[in-house]
Amino acid sequence: MKKFILKCLVYVFLILLTLEGFVRLLHLYTEDPPRYIDEDGVEKRVPGSSGYAVTGNRNQNFSEFRINEEGFNSKNEFNPTAQDYEVALIGDSFIEGFHQDYYISTGEKVEEQTKDISVYEYGYAGYDLANQVHLIHAYKEQFELIDKIVIYLNYESDLSRGEYSPNYARIKMLNSTLFKIRDNIKLLAYGSKIGILEPFKRLAQGKAFREPQNGYQENEVKLSQEEIDAQELKRLNNFKSLVTLYGFDKEKTVILLDSRKTADSFLRYCKAENIEVLDFAPNFKASKKSTTLIYDHHWNEHGRELIAKTIANYIKENP
Amino acid sequence: MLFNSLEFLLFLPLIFILYWMVFHKNLKAQNILIIIASYIFYGWWDWRFLLLILMSTLVDFFVGQQIYKQQDSGKAKYWLWVSMAFNLGLLGFFKYFNFFVDSFIDMWSIFGYEMKSTWTLRVILPVGISFYTFQTMSYSFDIYFKKLKPTNDLVAFTAFVAFFPQLVAGPIERASNLLHQISNKRVFNFDQASSGIKLMLWGFFKKLVIADALAPIVDDIFQNYSDYPASTLILGVCLFSFQVYGDFSGYTDIALGTAKLLGVELMSNFKFPNFSRNVAEYWQRWHISLSTWFRHYLYIPLGGNRVGKLLSIRNITIIFVVSGFWHGANWTFIFWGALHALFYIPVFLMGRNRIYADNVIAENSWLPSLKEIGQVLLTFALVTFSRIFFRSPTLTDSFAYINKIIEDFSYAPYVHPMGYRMIDFYVLIALFTFYEYLIRKDERNPFKFKSRYVRFFVYSVLILLMLLFYDDGVNRSFIYFQF
Repeated sequence: MKKFILKCLVYVFLILLTLEGFVRLLHLYTEDPPRYIDEDGVEKRVPGSSGYAVTGNRNQNFSEFRINEEGFNSKNEFNPTAQDYEVALIGDSFIEGFHQDYYISTGEKVEEQTKDISVYEYGYAGYDLANQVHLIHAYKEQFELIDKIVIYLNYESDLSRGEYSPNYARIKMLNSTLFKIRDNIKLLAYGSKIGILEPFKRLAQGKAFREPQNGYQENEVKLSQEEIDAQELKRLNNFKSLVTLYGFDKEKTVILLDSRKTADSFLRYCKAENIEVLDFAPNFKASKKSTTLIYDHHWNEHGRELIAKTIANYIKENP
Repeated sequence: MLFNSLEFLLFLPLIFILYWMVFHKNLKAQNILIIIASYIFYGWWDWRFLLLILMSTLVDFFVGQQIYKQQDSGKAKYWLWVSMAFNLGLLGFFKYFNFFVDSFIDMWSIFGYEMKSTWTLRVILPVGISFYTFQTMSYSFDIYFKKLKPTNDLVAFTAFVAFFPQLVAGPIERASNLLHQISNKRVFNFDQASSGIKLMLWGFFKKLVIADALAPIVDDIFQNYSDYPASTLILGVCLFSFQVYGDFSGYTDIALGTAKLLGVELMSNFKFPNFSRNVAEYWQRWHISLSTWFRHYLYIPLGGNRVGKLLSIRNITIIFVVSGFWHGANWTFIFWGALHALFYIPVFLMGRNRIYADNVIAENSWLPSLKEIGQVLLTFALVTFSRIFFRSPTLTDSFAYINKIIEDFSYAPYVHPMGYRMIDFYVLIALFTFYEYLIRKDERNPFKFKSRYVRFFVYSVLILLMLLFYDDGVNRSFIYFQF
């Protein structure tokens, strides 16, 4: 009996060890380059990291990343000069581009479609507009030398606050011992990615046995028109507040967005205020091929190609 | 409680330790532990239905003693009817009541009488009711047929009815096997326990990798069959064959393995049915405990095959239709059963229904003969075809599905609803079938490699595959729970 239990424990340990080997060998785990907040309060990655970002249980998407000296995933180092033409592309995970090899990024495609232009991609998963305008404000000297700024705005999620404050709590959590253990034991990193550790997490949070067995889905909450109006107003006010606090150079800044997911009131406001908007919805709508990854909502190769085309055409028309 | 849940992962070791380390010196205490564990296991789903199990237990315990006491066969039969009335009454009310009411209304509507369905009730089907009612009835039947003496140990009998490894989806055990083991002292056996763990691993693999990975594909194809060409519809029903097999036989292996950990041997319920060479062999290898139940308590009492060809055909038809109906209160299951009767009867008439009872494909060779391959493919095709009825929600859908295969007989590559590479699933099925072929002679020992290193490698690969095909969006319940 005791021998049986002991043997089971030994087997469990050896199997876990073997699985760790398999996960490493097949590179099933994803790598998340470490994050930090610099002295200007900008959230970014630790420079010099490189590795592979992996999506799906079976490496359905496998791409290489390279964090440059500025702390962003890019082939280019960011050294703007007054003589050269540089474009800054700022955004969240869509621009950070961990779903593609860093050397075929959206910025790279823009460079291919234009002449003598360098694109600097300031992408970081989790950036909202507050992060983005604060970044431009914090790196004022650098951005003064940059000729065009393209801000990717995911309207529905990027206007939830009117003032920037660095998320120290998240950085602290990601640097905690627990997360370091998770990142170093690749089997855990993989298990976490595919969701198999969720029941254990719920157990640790004391919720494990309270989950409904049938997995009932709650009805989608439908907002009333008044609530929608209030939400839109809040977003608009947040936008105004951010512009007031951190500035917005209308001469060289353009907002890249999807008009299908953006409120008309916001588009009207931008027009009234002479804020340029670059809408990629027409290109996406006209596309016969899918523009997003199948198992992920991020842009696929074709989607990035269309985004690059939209930006390149704009730059050609508005040098 | 599901086998494939965190709750069970914590529950089983706890019960195992209490069973062998705390209560191992006292049989009654061990059996009381089995009852408590089983009631927790079942009550995790809905404790209110524990009352049904308890009632079924008490009725058959009492009825069993009454049947045995009676000198007069008429009175014994009367008590047998009490057991049947009670258990079939439970089943009838919880499982079939609405079916009969709706069918009655539908029948009148054919003659132009529209009736409002005021009789249908909002009844929840208690998990596993078809399994435990059949198990308790088998006890009364065995006493009536004088194959068993009733037990006076209510604790052992309660543990026999509620034994959690097989409570909700079988195997449907006969008292002569399970009650006998529960009534006698169990001694921990290292080999038995380790073989139990291995069976559980194999069962988890079949459930989590084969069944759960195929479920979204099958659901997508059956829900949207009108949008797909024949190639996809054929793929859908073929994959459903593997899904339902992985799901149910996976459950059974986990049940057998869990029981082994508690020192109990349950009967085999599956013996690689996908390698059957005719439909008769298929039924000797698929859901064996149910087939055996119907053979002992329905087919043989009806006269079996000793009553002339015509009556034998009638008996075969009855057991297949009833077996179909046992699965669910839906005409699709009845049709499915009838279709199997139709496939079985020619085999029976040719006298080939028992010829493969004691051997497997490629019994004495590495590879099957061309004839065997053809037989297996034909049997698989027939069984898989019948599963269109098994899987479709209504008879209309079943026929529409078949009609779509005929009318739109074309090919188009199928794209996984989540966008996953389909080749992964094809390779998985091919490897699974090949592995099952390798172990085809012993369903209770899926890892019979001599080298412990090879065994260890296989265990690791199976667990890796569970991770590779894990999908947290999938409904992880077992298909046969609904029956």
